[in-house]
Amino acid sequence: MSDGELTDLVDLTACDREPIHIPGSIQPHGALLGIVGAEHTIVHASANAAAFLGVAPVLGRTRLGEVVGDGRLEADIAVWLAGDQATMLRSVRVGEHCFNVVTHRGADDVVLVEFEEAPDSETHTLDALYPRLRHFIEQLQNLSEIAALASTAARQVRELTGFDRVLIYRFDEDGAGTVIGEDRNDALPAYLDLRFPGSDIPKQARELYRLNRTRIIPDALYQPVPLLAHPDYGKEPLDLTHSVLRSVSPVHVEYMRNMGTHASMSVSILIEGELWGLIACHNAEAKRVPLQLRGACDLLGQVLAAQMGALIRTQEIGKRVRLKSLQTELLSLMAQEDVFSDALLKNPSAWRGLASADGAAVIVGQTLLASGACPREDQIREIVSWLEETKAPDVFATDALPDHMPSAAAFIDKAAGVLAITVSEMHASYILWFRPEAVRTVNWSGDPRKPAGAVSDDRLHPRQSFEIWKEQVRGRSLPWDTAELEAARELRAAVIAIVLRQAEEMASLSDELQRSNKELEAFSYSISHDLRAPFRHIVGYAELLTEREGDKLDPQSGHYLESIKTAAISAGRLVDDLLGFSHLGRASLATSPTDMDKLVTEARRTLEPETQGRHIDWKVSALPPAQADPSLVRQVLVNLIGNALKYSRGRNPAVIEVSGRIGEDGQAVYTVRDNGVGFDMAYAGKLFGVFQRLHRIEEFEGTGIGLAISRRIVERHRGRIWAEGAVGQGAAFHFTLPPADA
Amino acid sequence: MADLRPILLVEDSPQDLELTLAALAKCQLANEIVVTRDGAQALDWLQRKGEFTDRTAGDPAVVLLDLKLPKLDGLEVLERVKGDEHMRSIPVVMLTSSREEKDLVRSYQLGVNAFVVKPVEFREFFEAIQDLGVFWGILNEPPPRAAKS
Repeated sequence: MSDGELTDLVDLTACDREPIHIPGSIQPHGALLGIVGAEHTIVHASANAAAFLGVAPVLGRTRLGEVVGDGRLEADIAVWLAGDQATMLRSVRVGEHCFNVVTHRGADDVVLVEFEEAPDSETHTLDALYPRLRHFIEQLQNLSEIAALASTAARQVRELTGFDRVLIYRFDEDGAGTVIGEDRNDALPAYLDLRFPGSDIPKQARELYRLNRTRIIPDALYQPVPLLAHPDYGKEPLDLTHSVLRSVSPVHVEYMRNMGTHASMSVSILIEGELWGLIACHNAEAKRVPLQLRGACDLLGQVLAAQMGALIRTQEIGKRVRLKSLQTELLSLMAQEDVFSDALLKNPSAWRGLASADGAAVIVGQTLLASGACPREDQIREIVSWLEETKAPDVFATDALPDHMPSAAAFIDKAAGVLAITVSEMHASYILWFRPEAVRTVNWSGDPRKPAGAVSDDRLHPRQSFEIWKEQVRGRSLPWDTAELEAARELRAAVIAIVLRQAEEMASLSDELQRSNKELEAFSYSISHDLRAPFRHIVGYAELLTEREGDKLDPQSGHYLESIKTAAISAGRLVDDLLGFSHLGRASLATSPTDMDKLVTEARRTLEPETQGRHIDWKVSALPPAQADPSLVRQVLVNLIGNALKYSRGRNPAVIEVSGRIGEDGQAVYTVRDNGVGFDMAYAGKLFGVFQRLHRIEEFEGTGIGLAISRRIVERHRGRIWAEGAVGQGAAFHFTLPPADA
Repeated sequence: MADLRPILLVEDSPQDLELTLAALAKCQLANEIVVTRDGAQALDWLQRKGEFTDRTAGDPAVVLLDLKLPKLDGLEVLERVKGDEHMRSIPVVMLTSSREEKDLVRSYQLGVNAFVVKPVEFREFFEAIQDLGVFWGILNEPPPRAAKS
């Protein structure tokens, strides 16, 4: 049979389903009785009870007191049952023999009483063990390294028990375990640093280890002793979860034999109620460990667990504190920046350090910023699309991205591991951290891919080989730990809070803007009414005065009156122009495909009064149509052509050229050129400002606002306007608009 | 041609009032010019209420209505006139200092017959008033329904 077929045939979870807590038998190094009621009537007994205890109980009739003579045990059981202790431990003498007795409560009010032969010597009593235990505990409490703790505990347990080999074994999240401490003689091989697959210790065995902390198999070659029950109590097999004599699975016994061990003991290391590891003891030959000594080992195991737990917590807290300070640094930077991603880039080492990553990237909308060793931009975007599509959780972490996203295999040198957090509820915004592939060599105890050694007589047998099998782990990064995930989660909450706060600030800012816009509107409304009227009145009264008294005024007075009128008229125009200008900022654009030739014709018609009596040489060529608001663009043309007319007043002929084309950037460009007075290019930047004039008012009239209005109109179309010119050489004004077919 | 009915001028600014009256005088119109100084007074006159209970019956040839008025402003007066089935047919010309588009839009929505932004230059202002006076005071035939005695 080839290996491939083997793997197909053997159901590796068969072990997980074996009901090992109800084996129906015990190991032969002790006897078990199950008693009920105040009379302590025996209803269960192991088949060896008569031989072991010297009295053959009749099930359903014989009382415990009839087996164990002095009545003290019975009294103790009654007191213990009234209390809440889980177990009771006593020494009793039955005939010639001295026994250690341990009791615990079973199902259906049955009390299980287990007997083991007590050792002859007094060396194993707790009194004798106490000084050594205290010394050991002090030793453990002085250690601050996990490895040192493990090897010390292994040495201590071996000293206490005399096993050939003691291992400290630590479980992973996936159930596999690694030997992190060992003490041994030469009878058994070294297992230190070996990794055992999860299937070696099935799930329900791990659960039993959690519930019942110590377990012993004095002789792997034992013959199981069946349990007998009174018919009223024998319908369900007896639950031996808490039994010290519980018979173990034949698979486990075989596993032990394959390992070359004939006796074993284990003590569970529980941290915060979880099975963290085991103290596993092995002996080449059969070996018994008295109950008290097992109790002492259990105590050591618990001290080890407490110390180990504290150590792990301290390490974790240390790491958390370090990450927290990085986080604080980033957050205080974020408080100073408008955009949180800028803060990340300001301290990239803190950003990456927060998750102990080699590279990090942030995506906000379409913008991607990266720091350190990252995949290519398109690859990062691919990861983000994948996160989006698979609706990955808000905090997503993997140390094996290619397992989720096969195309990631192309860049595992940068991102075999990814930690990603979403930072917006609405947009695809992520912060990502990357870790490269970390090729590790794992020393498996045997090939974990074929834990089954052979299949015969339809029963699963454990593997026979414990030879070191080296595995190269590829396509994986170092895993993300809890502290790092927690730091990422906290950063996410902080960033979201910041983004939200900024959104609120923007909203209130926009409220404020709207308010001030309204105020401005009310202001210009009132100007349009109240400032305009007095100018009109001045002009009106001056006119009436001229009509009535004009003839009687001397020329100088007539000139003053005329000047009053002119000044008031121009002030009134100024108000009108200003209002028009402010209006432009508020009015909405109504764009449509616009015939620019038509607009030029209309503008020229508007300006006709300016051309009276002048010799003008018009050079107007066909213009490309624009996507624009015609009434606004007409105003631009009136302004520009009007300027051209105005500033070429002294020329004969005045040459005014209007042309247009589609520029290289696809925008339509229009030009109005004249041969007028021109301007000094040094002032080109001032041309388009409000009230900027380059000529004295008596040379050329106007309020100086026409070009500012033109610029505002062009810019509202997302176009540009600019001018070229030289003093005495004419001027050219260019502006761009989106073309009509865009 | 109908009898020469009065022109109702509603204007609160004394200067505008004086200038408008001067302009109308130049037209040498035979129409009587009735002046009211705020919106409420104008409505009272139109509806023969309050101080005008005893005035001779009859609608004006035109109402020249300033936009900004005390009590009821021009738009409110316009709304009442155009919303009233008896007054609806009276021509209303809005006279205003404002070049605000929204006033213009609102006036037309309310059914104004003409909208004149008072020009800064008196000559233009004068011409505008003259045109208005002549058109609405003399030339414009009132609808038959309004021509009741």
